[in-house]
Amino acid sequence: MSIIQTTDFKETLKFWPRHNEAIYRRLESKHSWIEENPHGDGSPVDPLHNEMVLNIGPQHPATHGVLRCAVQLDGETIQKSVLDIGYLHRGMEKLAESKTYQEFMPYTDRMDYLSPYSNNVAWCLAVEKVAGIEVPERAQWIRMMMSELARISAHLLWMGVGLMDAGAVSVFLWAFQLREDLYAIFDEVAGARLTVSHSRIGGVVTDVDDTGMAMIREFTETFPVAHAGWIKLLNRNRIWIDRNVGIGVMTKEDAISRGMTGPNLRGSGIQHDIRRFEPYLKYDEVDFNIPLREEGDALARYFIRMEEMMESIKIVRQCLDKLQTLKGPIRANDAKHSYPSKDEVYYSMEGLIHDFMYTDTGTCPPKGGASYHAIEAPKGELGFYIESDGTGSPARVKMNTPSFTNLQGLEHLLEGALMGDMVILIGTVDPVLGESDK
Amino acid sequence: MATKQPRTLSFHFQPADSAAGDDANPHAKKTTLVDDTVAALKQEFGDDVLEVVQYAGERTVRVTTARIVDICRFLRDNLGFTYLCDLGGGDRFTEDERFEVHYNIVNMDAGKRIRIKVRTEEESPVVPSVTSVFPAADWNEREAWDMFGIRFEGHEDLRRMFMPEDFEYHPLRKEFPLLGIPGSLPLPPQVPTGELTLDPFPRAHGSIPPNSFDEVESEEEN
Repeated sequence: MSIIQTTDFKETLKFWPRHNEAIYRRLESKHSWIEENPHGDGSPVDPLHNEMVLNIGPQHPATHGVLRCAVQLDGETIQKSVLDIGYLHRGMEKLAESKTYQEFMPYTDRMDYLSPYSNNVAWCLAVEKVAGIEVPERAQWIRMMMSELARISAHLLWMGVGLMDAGAVSVFLWAFQLREDLYAIFDEVAGARLTVSHSRIGGVVTDVDDTGMAMIREFTETFPVAHAGWIKLLNRNRIWIDRNVGIGVMTKEDAISRGMTGPNLRGSGIQHDIRRFEPYLKYDEVDFNIPLREEGDALARYFIRMEEMMESIKIVRQCLDKLQTLKGPIRANDAKHSYPSKDEVYYSMEGLIHDFMYTDTGTCPPKGGASYHAIEAPKGELGFYIESDGTGSPARVKMNTPSFTNLQGLEHLLEGALMGDMVILIGTVDPVLGESDK
Repeated sequence: MATKQPRTLSFHFQPADSAAGDDANPHAKKTTLVDDTVAALKQEFGDDVLEVVQYAGERTVRVTTARIVDICRFLRDNLGFTYLCDLGGGDRFTEDERFEVHYNIVNMDAGKRIRIKVRTEEESPVVPSVTSVFPAADWNEREAWDMFGIRFEGHEDLRRMFMPEDFEYHPLRKEFPLLGIPGSLPLPPQVPTGELTLDPFPRAHGSIPPNSFDEVESEEEN
């Protein structure tokens, strides 16, 4: 006799009853902005008119993670939606309070696991701001270059998965071919494919050598060719356009009041990009455009992300040229605030002591210092608010993650949409649950 | 490269950890220099602006808790701060005014960013909800309620954000143990026929849980 037949799942799976009850109660009580009956003007009653409550996720491939959507349907229209997140909640903010600043950095890899490099950079910049650490120029250019590659990698996955949600599997494979090249670059430069942990407080851990530079340069040459192919396939593709145009429209006012961020905000015609708004690293020294669309629908967001990838390539090229001539240290020359180089650790007593001290205590920002630093991650504004109590670990870390704010807008976008468009809408908002759940 | 000896040891300890420059921070941004806005707030609200802290080129304005909705509305309607970027709670772990909430509000057109802070007591941590001014505060306030137990008065849907409703604690409070409280959060069983997992870190608390790959005792053998 199999296990399934002998096990009474009705009993075992009944954990968190109050949680489900609260979600359904919310769904019941939620004020709906949709017309009660779209055919209430005397036209014949829709034969598909029937109401039901449907749960999608948390274990559904199209939810891009562990997103649970409880929706109330009227026929095929979503009347009300309640999103339930927290299935990947690891309590990172709590963990940060018991780690040193440097120890917490690898945890940020696990936030937006499609662009770990951006997260590392965001965290290190936030710590550097609260502690007032200056970063050498070369490290800043390396960080910027690698963050832009991470943006391409994240957008590639969005494109592949988004197209697969719409039914085109081949684009997924093509996107992963290029992502594989990017992983090889990250492997060469940082020593890891996915969880790179390359950034250190005060700089980066290793310099980019000639092999890495050559790989990146080759990527900047192969990528535009592949990109042109996708553009050719998709930009005037009847199926893809029809599937996206006019879907999930977010007006300018809505996008601001709902706090949308990143490409979702720029797709609604709002020029807001942290790289321009408050330039960090060397973004004020490179030449790039910020794609903008006015329509606010899924197609606009598609165009924005596609164009952003090419802008990233433009930035990467400028970084490569700059790094050719700009030599120098890659980490701050200050033992209180960053790790000494391995040469010094292995061959000098002081270096070893500094390494030990930094691992043990690490950076200690001044007591009472609190600051917020944001970067433009692929998904939008990723910021860390850090409060220091003068010790080696933060008193409070508040992570402002783009997926969290975007998902809040998604709940609003879903209401009034068709059930069949739901998968497209989740894809177009591009949430990563590892990030939103913290 | 590893065989090369370093010529000089260039690292040095600084005698004292200076308070990394108020506005002289290397990462300070122009957007956070909002002295005009702070002056306008002081003029409009007078004594309700309790304190202005300056650090790393940022301005944190602490205001009276009861007036936070008015202040947010004034910022949005009169000063152009239309975009609520971030909202989060905090636990100061002090005797009085233990909890605090910070609001990070952005003026996109003028390129300004300001942080407003309010504090509340431990006995009845209540802060007026700003969802009527900034709908974006919805989930952030739910998160602060979930993590710190700060109630937001006027929030229409104050459910927990991450933890299930069955959970009774507020995990980001300082007194909440890092390893959790055994029995507070029932999780699915480790083996198909097992009991609910009541302790997420059993080994840390001295018991050894069954492994998921352990053979299940079948009924035929018994």
